[in-house]
Amino acid sequence: MPTGIVESGLSPLLQNMEIFNEQFKKDHLLSRVDARVKLGVSLLVLAMVLSYKGIVFPLLILCVSLAVCVRIKIPLKVFLLRFSEPVFIASVVILLKFLFSGQEAMFSIKISGVIITGHKDGLMDGLQIAGRILGAVSVVAVLGFSTPFTEIMAALSWLKVPKSFIEILMFAYRYIFVLLEDAMVIYNAQKNRLGYSGIRRGLSSFGTLTGSLVLKAFESSQNITTAMIQRGYDGNMPLMKHKPFRASEIIASAAIIAAMGVVWKI
Amino acid sequence: MKFQISNFKFQIIFLFISSFFLFLVDNAHAMHISEGILPFNWALFWSVIAVPFVAWGLYKLKKLSAIDLSFKPLVGLMAAVVFIISCMPIPVPTAGTCSHPCGTGISGILVGPAISILITAVALLIQALFLAHGGLTTWGADIVSMGVMGSFAGYLTFKALRSITPLIPPFNKGGSGGLAVSGFMAGLFADWATYFTTSVELASGIKGDSEFMPLFWKILIAFIPTQLPLGILEGAMTAGMVVLLYKKRPDLLVKMRVLKAEEAAI
Repeated sequence: MPTGIVESGLSPLLQNMEIFNEQFKKDHLLSRVDARVKLGVSLLVLAMVLSYKGIVFPLLILCVSLAVCVRIKIPLKVFLLRFSEPVFIASVVILLKFLFSGQEAMFSIKISGVIITGHKDGLMDGLQIAGRILGAVSVVAVLGFSTPFTEIMAALSWLKVPKSFIEILMFAYRYIFVLLEDAMVIYNAQKNRLGYSGIRRGLSSFGTLTGSLVLKAFESSQNITTAMIQRGYDGNMPLMKHKPFRASEIIASAAIIAAMGVVWKI
Repeated sequence: MKFQISNFKFQIIFLFISSFFLFLVDNAHAMHISEGILPFNWALFWSVIAVPFVAWGLYKLKKLSAIDLSFKPLVGLMAAVVFIISCMPIPVPTAGTCSHPCGTGISGILVGPAISILITAVALLIQALFLAHGGLTTWGADIVSMGVMGSFAGYLTFKALRSITPLIPPFNKGGSGGLAVSGFMAGLFADWATYFTTSVELASGIKGDSEFMPLFWKILIAFIPTQLPLGILEGAMTAGMVVLLYKKRPDLLVKMRVLKAEEAAI
């Protein structure tokens, strides 16, 4: 029954936190590339993947992205964590479109009075959407795997994303880990007091846990502000400064985009 | 292309089974629309819809943080809380599996819809960049469903019920009963509004040449085994959080204009 699932409530989240590990984002070919260039190329390729009518281009992007992931030595566990959900969603979409959408029947079988019909055009539609999902996810995965958070924030700032928005992003990113640790402490204390024995107590404990996190957020925001004001905070946070663009990076990324554009056009 | 219904009974059974498997993935994030699932025109459409709401949130943030320097850190920490809540799997008894709450009901109640939309946008961007939950290309659609619809549904339901409950016995005798009922309904409607909007977005995005309504109903039905009970559970969670805040820190509810000063005196 679901009590077991309530009990395992926080552990999958903690496992996923390995994705945030910044160690594998350093010392490889892509880590030396300007984050603005990586972000720009990623957004352009994403637009191409979304607007492409077919499956070849997204699959090509997927293959290139997977090769990059291998080249920059992304740990297999992190890689699987990142791709497990999109792969599953893509499979469900293919199945849904194959069985429920389309006119051109590929086969029709009757099992216990139920007619199951597979459609060729539905399958093609499903494959196209699945290709788009995997292609797009792989592009963002390479960006996320190869760029530290602070560099992405600086790139967003260069793209004229409002500074307040970036500041909120930075506060949120920093305190996810702090609040998660608090959540683990509360969760273990609740578990030791049989807080998750049964649905009713489980839900009550879950409500208390999340309520405590909100309380912690309120209290911490006061303490953080006091500490920051003592260090000269005036309502604005400094962001990373950009180095000038390197000509080699611009030429290389323009060549990549041009090559992708040719394949996209074909 | 016409949507073909070969056997209605089979379709319903299949949709229930597929939704069961969809949520069986330990950390399924079915309320987020996956990266790449929407074609370019729909991704752009939902992003254009989302932009003014996020801008409204930023405008409010600027105004409030000019008065209170601790407001930006608070919004950042609330975004971290929403991030953690919307990553937590919680049990769905009828499906025997787990899904995740949105957390936008509670943020809508505490900081109002404008800031709540901003909080959701921040949490969704971090999830898209680092966890492959949602995506950059579906960020706009996810902001509209979780942020805009969830926050407004939660906020308006809470406000409406808070004005009615003091007139209805037994809530007219004071205490936290009226607050709990209002919180429960706010969480419930925030979740269901998100789920309804997600179905609209998905159906319009993947319909291809098919008709919109049949696919919309199929997606809506596929969500039922998890989202209907999940809404009730999110309601219970939101009620638990509001009551916890009322008992532990009523001054915070007064500060956030959730309660009047005279109501906070326990």
